[in-house]
Amino acid sequence: MQMLDNSIKIVELTKTFKDGTVAVDHVNLELKSGEVTVIIGPSGSGKSTLLRMLNLIETPTSGSVLYGEFDIMGKGFDIQKHRQNIGMVFQSFNLFPHLTVLDNLNVGQTTVLRRTTEAATEISRDLLKQVGLIEKEKNYPAQLSGGQKQRIAIARALSMHPSVMLFDEPTSALDPEMIGEVLNVMRTLAKAGMTMVVVTHEMGFAKEFGDHIIVMDQGKVIEEGRPEIIFEKPTNARTKEFLKRVIEKI
Amino acid sequence: MTNMDFSFLLEGYYIQIFLRGLGMTLLLAVMSVMLGTMLGIIPALMRLSKNKVFQLIATAYVELIRGTPILVQVLLIYSFFRMPVTLVFGIDLSSFIPGMLALLINSSAYVSEVIRGGINAVDKGQTEAAESLGMSKKQTMVKIIMPQAVKNILPALGNEFVTMIKETSIFMYLGIAELMYSAIIVRTSTYAVKESYVIAAVLYFLLTFPTSKLMAYFERRMKRADAR
Ligand SMILES: Nc1ncnc2c1ncn2[C@@H]1O[C@H](COP(=O)(O)OP(=O)(O)O)[C@@H](O)[C@H]1O
Ligand SMILES: [Mg+2]
Repeated sequence: MQMLDNSIKIVELTKTFKDGTVAVDHVNLELKSGEVTVIIGPSGSGKSTLLRMLNLIETPTSGSVLYGEFDIMGKGFDIQKHRQNIGMVFQSFNLFPHLTVLDNLNVGQTTVLRRTTEAATEISRDLLKQVGLIEKEKNYPAQLSGGQKQRIAIARALSMHPSVMLFDEPTSALDPEMIGEVLNVMRTLAKAGMTMVVVTHEMGFAKEFGDHIIVMDQGKVIEEGRPEIIFEKPTNARTKEFLKRVIEKI
Repeated sequence: MTNMDFSFLLEGYYIQIFLRGLGMTLLLAVMSVMLGTMLGIIPALMRLSKNKVFQLIATAYVELIRGTPILVQVLLIYSFFRMPVTLVFGIDLSSFIPGMLALLINSSAYVSEVIRGGINAVDKGQTEAAESLGMSKKQTMVKIIMPQAVKNILPALGNEFVTMIKETSIFMYLGIAELMYSAIIVRTSTYAVKESYVIAAVLYFLLTFPTSKLMAYFERRMKRADAR
């Protein structure tokens, strides 16, 4: 953990794809250290693109992202090293299919942090216990259910001891009965004070654990604030419309 | 089809010529695929890199070789690399080396496309997951992408091997005693024209058919291992 200040400042951040699509359009945000920020909004509104620019998996077209006082696109900033500090969990898990569960958790530690296999294994096993999957350590990802895969993916991200965790619709690819087990792991993290940015349609999670709700539409942030404000008294017409649609679906 | 006479095979001498040719064909094919694979990694990675100049050079190399007949390539390289006759184990290196070079260059172009395809077929999410852990591009390639790409590449390399077994027949133009050249030698000394060619064809098939079947078997096994 190289920096104590895990606040993230997003300034005029924009992403225009090669085909001309403006996915994120001059977004300004401040995400506080230790808070759970939840990004909601209709499909295609730019949530994933925004999230993926926070660790430069997607390169911004313009604008900047500041972690504490460091501009992650600044000259001499070591993004590769910084990424160790930012865990990422994907909608489609992206576990490494050729590695066992244990090696999925070990590989980052041994190659990037240069931990010995023994040291890495000890840390990995602790994490596997935390997500309740220690008995699966010798299995391959293809042998796991969706919920188990996502819990392993979270444990894999945690294996690098990040101080920020990014989640891109972590439960959207799951069967309904498996959503709970993944949300439980996320709840534990939130309670432990992890700085989290979560793109999700799980309004229950957002209401209960979100400190800061961001509503996106067509690449722009159309409304943001405390959950009780956003969910109870939204001011933006499009927010109202979106929330109504989400609630109807449930 | 009438009046074919294989009785000359009763003389062990001719069988020996064919078997030597068979051995040489196998050696040429194995070497060209192995060395071609090693050489093929370079244009494959160049085409996958973000560097436009690298991409251009590698694309030109691959397309040029794939767009010209292998016979032209062999004769061209042979005519450029004139060296004195040097016999090693009865093989004339002055024709073997240029011939080998042509074959492995040819193989490298095809194999590089196989490698590139195999790497591209690995889901982009794998790279994203690896890089989000802080892995470098190189670490990602070595630890995450390559082990998965190999499963796509190996079966195609088997096909390349079968192709190469057949392509080595052009070596007869260089006087290298591979299978086709052996057939010509036997033909010349026995006047059994049809018979010599039939034997050559049968021997080629005996090499390629089991190889194809073996490759298909390994491919199936690998697919099953993936679903574990
Ligand atoms: N690689 C890409 N190339 C071109 N357009 C893209 C790419 N990725 C996303 N987009 C477009 O950018 C917009 C925002 O996408 P995304 O960030 O995935 O939205 P969300 O996560 O809110 O569903 C969409 O219109 C989408 O089609
Ligand atoms: Mg998305």
